[in-house]
Amino acid sequence: MRHNADRLVHVSVMGTIASPSLPGLPAEPYRLDADGKPFLYPTHGSIVYNVSVGDSAYGWLGDTIHPSVSIHLKDAGANQGLNVLACVGNRARVMTGLATGAVGTVTGKSGRFSEHVIVHFPRADREKMAIGDKIQIRAEGVGLELGEHPSVKLKACSPNLLERLALGTDDQGRLRVRVAAVAPSHLLGAGAGLVSDGGSLHIQTVDKDALAAAGLDGLRLGDVVAMQDFDSRYSHGYFRGAVGIGVVGQGDSPRPGYGPGLTLVMTSHDGMIAPEIDPDANLRSLLDLQA
Amino acid sequence: MRTNEDQLVEMAIAGSISAPAFKRGPFLPDNDGLSVVRPGMFGYVYNVRVGDPAFGWQGDHVEPGASIDHDDSGIHHALHYLTCMGNKARVTSGLAAGAMGTVIGEHARILVDFEPDVHELLCVGDTIQIHAFGRGLALLDHPEVSLKKMSPTLLHAMNLETTESGKLRVPVAMELPVQVMASGAELNSEYVDQDITSGDRSFMKESGLDKLRLGDVVAIHNADHRFGRGYREGHVAIALCIHGDSVMTGHGPGILTLMTGTDDTIEWTLDPSANLALHLNIREEL
Repeated sequence: MRHNADRLVHVSVMGTIASPSLPGLPAEPYRLDADGKPFLYPTHGSIVYNVSVGDSAYGWLGDTIHPSVSIHLKDAGANQGLNVLACVGNRARVMTGLATGAVGTVTGKSGRFSEHVIVHFPRADREKMAIGDKIQIRAEGVGLELGEHPSVKLKACSPNLLERLALGTDDQGRLRVRVAAVAPSHLLGAGAGLVSDGGSLHIQTVDKDALAAAGLDGLRLGDVVAMQDFDSRYSHGYFRGAVGIGVVGQGDSPRPGYGPGLTLVMTSHDGMIAPEIDPDANLRSLLDLQA
Repeated sequence: MRTNEDQLVEMAIAGSISAPAFKRGPFLPDNDGLSVVRPGMFGYVYNVRVGDPAFGWQGDHVEPGASIDHDDSGIHHALHYLTCMGNKARVTSGLAAGAMGTVIGEHARILVDFEPDVHELLCVGDTIQIHAFGRGLALLDHPEVSLKKMSPTLLHAMNLETTESGKLRVPVAMELPVQVMASGAELNSEYVDQDITSGDRSFMKESGLDKLRLGDVVAIHNADHRFGRGYREGHVAIALCIHGDSVMTGHGPGILTLMTGTDDTIEWTLDPSANLALHLNIREEL
């Protein structure tokens, strides 16, 4: 597979482990589920000790939980730099605190209202980490292109993830990509219209029957998912024939419009991506993540 | 239609005409990545009025009429949560002081229509006060239909009927397919709007969506807009087109939720005259 990885600029981006954050006075910590019922669960951010890539995306008493560790920066511009330049599959290293030297891997991003980068570390390393620890990422991937597939745009896709995801070219000239599932356009919700160079696009899970009918009710964190009829070249939106590829970065949500979030890694508005179902298409094995 | 409007509280809320604003880089990426600069949001739009086409302007998210806001976050949100469609508004400062207008939309700001003879007198910064009236409005014979941002004035002008089976029948100008509903899915449904993604231009044409007009009342099937805006089979949203098309993917004409219900409680009929500009006698014909 011909690509331009040897021309990419490898640059450091750094974030600090994000604290959980909830609304202040008048102290109404509740969010509303799709039926208007208030709920209070842990949500995005922080060190999550017991949820990892490879685990189910469903069933946790949480709202869009980020597995393992979430990092961010307070300065909006710097955080944008972190969120856009970090690519799925990039190496991360703890630079401060008791876990200094521990090595992790970028597995996803979150969008509007949190804008974190999600990094996998083995559980033993998580035990040593502290909120505020600095984690540095060797960012490589922005600018990556495939020589034989000019209409396939790669976003937040590291060269090593590309090598593991792509299976070659089919007889129609399309890029063959292994995916665990395919999401239909009517189930893609929050994140539509928002940036596709960072952030997340969420699978909607309020309608459980529709979710099951689409074969999306068994998703795991880290699963590779194709998005049918969605163009994500510049932001996300319905477009017949377009195909996107994302990875499940964060877990399910009770909120309307939300559910497991997808971090976009590829998109082709003219259908030049051919998804091939492979139940093992998950970042845990693709990126050799250690438990 | 029997309502509880005699119990509603009518309260003043004010904002001022916003100034057009751009990010430091003015460019927006269009559906094919071409960078463009377009007017549309904020300020006062002289030549696009409720009832006009939502598509075809060389603009982005065109907000018809006066686009008003308030710098204070609390007042900004009060404007969004108390103002109802069809509410009366009055200019309270500047050369047009005393002129009356009508609330015709809620985007990132509140949109107010004025008669053309007032245009030249309005200035960015002029204060506009709204008689906010409608929060809490309910249909006594349709308790399972909920109303959002609906003034009694608009409600009674929509030609609503109760069917023999007890459903609420709503005339709408168009039905929107749920898969085009995009930006705004991340927000609660009491705040601003949700865009129709218009990037598939040939689909817009084939489906007739490109005929949508500002002010059109529309129906969306399999959409639950009670506490957010998401996919749910059997649910129905009745909405109002409030701003124009966009060049950006995932964006396009915006719709604001007016009613929510289900297949058991709401049905709709297609009626080209189901437009706010006609319902509220802002325009005589479209």
